[in-house]
Amino acid sequence: MPNPRRPEKETVTICAYCGVGCGFKAETIGNEIVRMTPWKEGKANHGHSCVKGRFAFDYYRHPDRVKTPLIRSSIDEPWKEVSWEEAFAYAGSELRRIQEKYGRSSVGGVSSSRCTNEEIFLTMKFVRAVLGNNNIDNCARICHSPTQFGLSATVGAGAASQHFDSILQADVIMVVGANPTEGHPVFGSMMKRRIRQGAKLIVIDPRRTETVDSPHCRADIHLALRPGNNVAILNSIAHVIVRENLHDPEFIKARCEWEEFEPWAELVGSDDYSPERVGPIAGVDPEDIRRAARIYASGPRSTIYYGLGVTEHSQGSTGVMCLGNLALACGMYGREGVGVNPLRGQGNVQGGSCLGSWPHVFTGYRFVTDDATRASFEAEWGVDLDPEPGLRLPNMFDAALTGHFKGMYILGEDPVQSDPNQNHIIAALRNMECVVVHDIFLNETSKYAHVLLPGSSSLEKDGTFTNAERRISRVRKVVEPLAGYQDWEVTVKLMNAMGYDVEYAHAGEVLDELARLSPAYSGASFELLERVGSAQWPVDTNAPEGTEVLHVKQFPRANGRGTFMLTGFVPTRERVSDQYPLLLTTGRILSQYNVGTQTRRTANSQWHPEDVLEMSHGDMQARGLSDGDKVTVTSRFGSTQLKVIESTRVNPGVIYTTFHHAESKANAVTSDLSDWATNCPEYKVTAVEVTKVTSAEPARAHSTTAEPETRALVAEEA
Amino acid sequence: MEPTDEHPAVSGEVIDLDRLIEMANQIGDFFSPYPPQRGIEGLRNHFRTYWDPRMRSALLAYIDDGGEGLSELVVTGARLLEDDAAEKDGYYGPPKA
Repeated sequence: MPNPRRPEKETVTICAYCGVGCGFKAETIGNEIVRMTPWKEGKANHGHSCVKGRFAFDYYRHPDRVKTPLIRSSIDEPWKEVSWEEAFAYAGSELRRIQEKYGRSSVGGVSSSRCTNEEIFLTMKFVRAVLGNNNIDNCARICHSPTQFGLSATVGAGAASQHFDSILQADVIMVVGANPTEGHPVFGSMMKRRIRQGAKLIVIDPRRTETVDSPHCRADIHLALRPGNNVAILNSIAHVIVRENLHDPEFIKARCEWEEFEPWAELVGSDDYSPERVGPIAGVDPEDIRRAARIYASGPRSTIYYGLGVTEHSQGSTGVMCLGNLALACGMYGREGVGVNPLRGQGNVQGGSCLGSWPHVFTGYRFVTDDATRASFEAEWGVDLDPEPGLRLPNMFDAALTGHFKGMYILGEDPVQSDPNQNHIIAALRNMECVVVHDIFLNETSKYAHVLLPGSSSLEKDGTFTNAERRISRVRKVVEPLAGYQDWEVTVKLMNAMGYDVEYAHAGEVLDELARLSPAYSGASFELLERVGSAQWPVDTNAPEGTEVLHVKQFPRANGRGTFMLTGFVPTRERVSDQYPLLLTTGRILSQYNVGTQTRRTANSQWHPEDVLEMSHGDMQARGLSDGDKVTVTSRFGSTQLKVIESTRVNPGVIYTTFHHAESKANAVTSDLSDWATNCPEYKVTAVEVTKVTSAEPARAHSTTAEPETRALVAEEA
Repeated sequence: MEPTDEHPAVSGEVIDLDRLIEMANQIGDFFSPYPPQRGIEGLRNHFRTYWDPRMRSALLAYIDDGGEGLSELVVTGARLLEDDAAEKDGYYGPPKA
């Protein structure tokens, strides 16, 4: 049907929802968006879109948008509307006061993958150059930090090896802990297209996801493992490959460290990882493990796509290493149709990783402990920089509980809703003296904030995003920022208010600066992106218009070779018991996005009015539950209430929910366990019990741990 | 890094000790399949590269107090932090500090 309102103007930009990063034409009348049309020239989406990017854009003018800066000296006081100048002055003087009193390292910041590369870069510059420490992290900490760690260790680059289109040349597709038909729908459609053409599909996921079984998509093998057994299963697949000589010695000798392959083959080839040993532990038929291994190794082009079902575990980084090991052993790198590819959650998670918003590395994953790297930033920025790694996001909250961390700049994040063990996060925030939230809405975290700086949505700003296939694309301002400033301008003004003089005429100048300081982005500029549309990093003198497939001739490690990591299986400490006999795991659906801040404020909510708990028939019966019953889900950490439905998608002993609605408080129950290497939280495994809510019981979520104030006090006395 | 005693408002460990011990042992678990020398170098470099200096000193102070609950591998690896000469190029595991 033609749009009854004829648009006056169209602006090409990028959808900010998931890591696919679809190109869109935003059609406007005056300062109002009337339609979002998928862009045919977009190299990630080729004119396709999903129901989020296409329809869920009206949040930008929702009445909840904050239009004026707010401050208050205590979280018990009501907010006071102030001018931008007053807000900057207040935030700046508070952060300095805290540093005077508690030390330079008592403050920090976190940036979001909802923000542009330029904004993420400036947030890290603010923390390092103005606050003078390295307490800077970004939300990839709680989703894909193990990707950076695990893939850097094995192949030297923490990013997807392929471009999306490469899947159209794959013979075997292995999907691990991801559900692309729901989470990354436009890529999911391309995957289905390849499956219809005959590619084989292996899925490793506790749940019988839509990727396992839905129209145009059926897994040849589904390893429905019990949550928490990824490393065991992946080692067992490697066991079969090594024992049956299905690996590729020529590739390994030519491209990898053979001397590291041998101990790895010995470890995974040991009887500990035989399918007969691992199968019963993981709840999988050993013969299915063998079949999966044979199909993957036989290729000839086998590719791996994975998601948070791999990373969000206490062995998340080890799980990622397993995938790198597997692809190296079978020679599945450096061509079309192969590789290992993380599916990123938010629009700019890859950019968030690349742009140095980490406590231990600058841009380009170069270490703060490295003198030469630090010197290059000191020369550009004109300040001395801290040579020690800073606190990671979960460590900042830990340090807040002991009274060592007192102030924080939070750009586009909502840790109270997003981070694990909600009671712990709230107690930490309550213990801080200045929390600056920079966001488009008041959120769960701003309840504990002292300054609210109104943010701009991705429709109101200029900059770039880097999608899950390393593609750098322009984000273009479609409408004027509601509160007057683009986010990058706000961060610059905060820097200025704290005495650091810097000026950028437009976001392109920030990109120029970050390109000077990031080898893989060195050729990126607004001019290039105007000319070629988009470019995949590395974009540099060797590849002036970018690089589609990584690792073609060598791996970006010191000796150019890929290596094998020893990936022993260590079961998580989170286990079922008589008291908590079920394992809760989480995921997403198509029409909503993450914690729903944006999509819930659009008509997309009609597709998913609330989160529900999926449970197997037997587990429902054992608890006397019927479809639609309200239940309480209790873990060692807290409890919440949800509506339960019977589902054939989960095995007995496993339950599943989405986390799109704040009222569901899924993170009231998640544990404080985390990945050994990165502290990425173990969201995907929580031992719980489910009980029916009697009608007399008030519906609410509550804490089973000590009250926040008590915990903080105890910690201070320790 | 500034010594914390310049700031009398701050005292004690930067992170709850139980959590620190758990984190350290998890890292030890990862390195346990490696030959012992590479395991302890891996541990040392992991602490040096990824841990805030206050977390490292809290761990070392705890080890000086007996280090109860820490695995032997972790204790040996962490002790390498006391001497920068232990920093080695031929290191295996996550990137070198």
